[in-house]
Amino acid sequence: MGSPSARKSSTARSSVTSSTTKSATGRQTILPFVPVSKSQAVALPLSPARKNTNVNPLLDTKALNYSPVQSNSSLKQTSLLSRLKSVKAHSTSSVPKVATKENQLTSSSQPSADLTSSTGPRRTLKRSNSAFSSLDIVGKDWLQNAPTKRSCKVNNKTHYDRFIPNRDGMNLASSQFNLSNDSKSQYLDRASQEYKERVAQACGIVPGQRILAFKAKPPTSDKEDLRKYFNPMMKTSTSTSSQRRILTAPEKILDAPGMLDDFYLNLLDWSSLNVIAIALHKSIYLWNADTGDIKPLNYESNTNTIASLSWSSDGSYLAVGTSDGDTQVWDVETNTKLRSMTGHESRVGVLSWDKHIVSSGARDGSIYHHDVRVAQHKIAELHGHTDEVCGLEWRSDGMLLASGGNDNLVNIWDARNTKPKFTKASHNAAVKAMAWCPWNLNLLATGGGTSDKHVHFWNTTTTARLHSIYTGSQVSSIVWSTQYKELVTSHGLPNNHLSVWEYPTLKKVIDVPAHDSRILHTAISPDGQVIASAAADENLKFWRVFENIDKGKISKKEEVSKLVSAGKKQGQARRSMSIR
Amino acid sequence: MEGSTITLDGSIALVVEFFNYSVNSILFQRAVYPPEDFTVKKKYGLNILVTINDELQLYMKQVCSQLEAWLTPGKISKLVLVIKDKDTAEVVERWQFDIHVHDKSDQAGGMTMNTASKSTGDIYKEIQAIMRQITASVTFLPILEDKCTFNILVYADEDVQVPTTWEDSDPNLIAGGGEHVKLRSFDTSMHKIDALVAYRVMDDA
Repeated sequence: MGSPSARKSSTARSSVTSSTTKSATGRQTILPFVPVSKSQAVALPLSPARKNTNVNPLLDTKALNYSPVQSNSSLKQTSLLSRLKSVKAHSTSSVPKVATKENQLTSSSQPSADLTSSTGPRRTLKRSNSAFSSLDIVGKDWLQNAPTKRSCKVNNKTHYDRFIPNRDGMNLASSQFNLSNDSKSQYLDRASQEYKERVAQACGIVPGQRILAFKAKPPTSDKEDLRKYFNPMMKTSTSTSSQRRILTAPEKILDAPGMLDDFYLNLLDWSSLNVIAIALHKSIYLWNADTGDIKPLNYESNTNTIASLSWSSDGSYLAVGTSDGDTQVWDVETNTKLRSMTGHESRVGVLSWDKHIVSSGARDGSIYHHDVRVAQHKIAELHGHTDEVCGLEWRSDGMLLASGGNDNLVNIWDARNTKPKFTKASHNAAVKAMAWCPWNLNLLATGGGTSDKHVHFWNTTTTARLHSIYTGSQVSSIVWSTQYKELVTSHGLPNNHLSVWEYPTLKKVIDVPAHDSRILHTAISPDGQVIASAAADENLKFWRVFENIDKGKISKKEEVSKLVSAGKKQGQARRSMSIR
Repeated sequence: MEGSTITLDGSIALVVEFFNYSVNSILFQRAVYPPEDFTVKKKYGLNILVTINDELQLYMKQVCSQLEAWLTPGKISKLVLVIKDKDTAEVVERWQFDIHVHDKSDQAGGMTMNTASKSTGDIYKEIQAIMRQITASVTFLPILEDKCTFNILVYADEDVQVPTTWEDSDPNLIAGGGEHVKLRSFDTSMHKIDALVAYRVMDDA
């Protein structure tokens, strides 16, 4: 039931807190009304219809000692004031006497609004000349216990306009002081006080109080609180960070026309200098993954196709095995053949480097070690297979060599011996896919061909078979990740896909349908993130299977060189590498 | 009688000291600051963890000196330590210390000794009980998983002198009201301090 004027005046004050006062504590309660009454008081003398009017003695003597000079009026002020009063009259209707008198007053003032000189407006105006709001005046007028004294200093120097209050003429500080010191006055408008208290309560403010906050921000401590790690209720690590998405679309596709569709050859290799060598029928192309440049190797032969390729660990030499049993070493920088190492009587389908030694596996099942530094290059002959050798892989420390053949055997050779350390006959098809685990030297994975479809994991120290996976398809190659404990296998029919497996759980992470026909060869980039696959559909595709998501971009170059040295053999030139 | 009873100045110092120690203790217990920032100190017959973070020490010193200035004329009625989420600024905990000043007239009349005045030892025992409760509150308060910061609020009278380092604030109430736990109180025979902790209730999904 707060009267409109009361609401208006309370909003006029900027802060509810400061305007609310408790009558119980004896504080001045009419504070909120000051601005309204002041503007009125100020407004009067400047009005255009300024007139000296007769003072109504009755009102004048009543509790308010206002000077008659200030009882000037204008039409509009009259109506405004009368309106205020009428409102007040309603709100104070609990006192019948007041109500009636007030009603009389307003009713008399309203008609007189049209007549400037009538006494009605003057009477009302007169009373409104106080420094207090009309509401208070009304209260004081009609209540017995109305305070008899009011400070009205403000009035003496007021010049005003109705719309533009001139505040120069008033002493705000002193009037406010006087008002707040008037301890006798009561808060008459109970409704508006109640309203204010409710507002304060809703805002959580106790009237008469201020809530102060220390402005300065508390210092921050950058040290991490380790206590949270002791708490089992903390979020587990099953969140986004461990989850990586493997895109099933290739990052890049290169055309590889003339790719021989022969399972027993090895025609793709990726060097530590980020160059891919691919043999297409009778020519070799070097594709630089950093720049995208393609350089053909000066291999010229009318009769001999290329059967195998292998980069030396430093990436500057390429070993090439041909269909006539020659093993060649090429310097890719000068694009010249350094030497030819003959000996095999059939095509050399697979090559593997160990430092200065190139091992070559031939169709007749023999494996030769060639020392590229000496004239008498052949330093060992290994005879452990009865059919074509199609898988050959030195362990990164050069102590063991794994070989797989079309006789379905897997042989493990000690580097110092020409007899196999042990032989495994678990596969039922040609063993072309073989890869040593980069984080566990003892671990070898081998994959069998069309009639086998298995991947076996061997502990080469104990010679025990650790795990097996049935892949459901021909296994043409295996690549271990250097970033994750995972491996990729490439397959032929029916899906010609790449599979990503977790090790040692052997859970399949994803199948990536990759090519239109069987995948023949795969190679991993030196940074360990991208797999290149070449298939019989004459495409060379790049897959970002082991994307490096955890490491920051800043350290990426460092990571790359670290991975190169870790993944490949040591003592090689370091360069930052990436596939773009 | 010297030393066994407490004067107004002594009472104020005691209240401020108590506030300082309790804030330190809460900041440690609620892991607002890491444990490396705290060291053990013997006080009130207890081992209380106080900060060794220079910035935090300075911060508390500034707050406490102002509290002392306000307590002397008895201008403040509540001290509140608000713990907020650092990122969302949501209020998660509110440690409130209500200050009731006994017998205003008595104080004004030149610090006459209250008849029921207590010895420092008795008061320390009461404070000790509150401190223990603060430590024990960790058992029922929810774990603050996100990084938190804090703020200190003071409920003061309207006519209080406010230095520029302080500003008007909203009461920083906990959204939805939260759960309230009343802690013990202590009485210096000049001031009575009631402690209360309010915390945000997590709706278990």
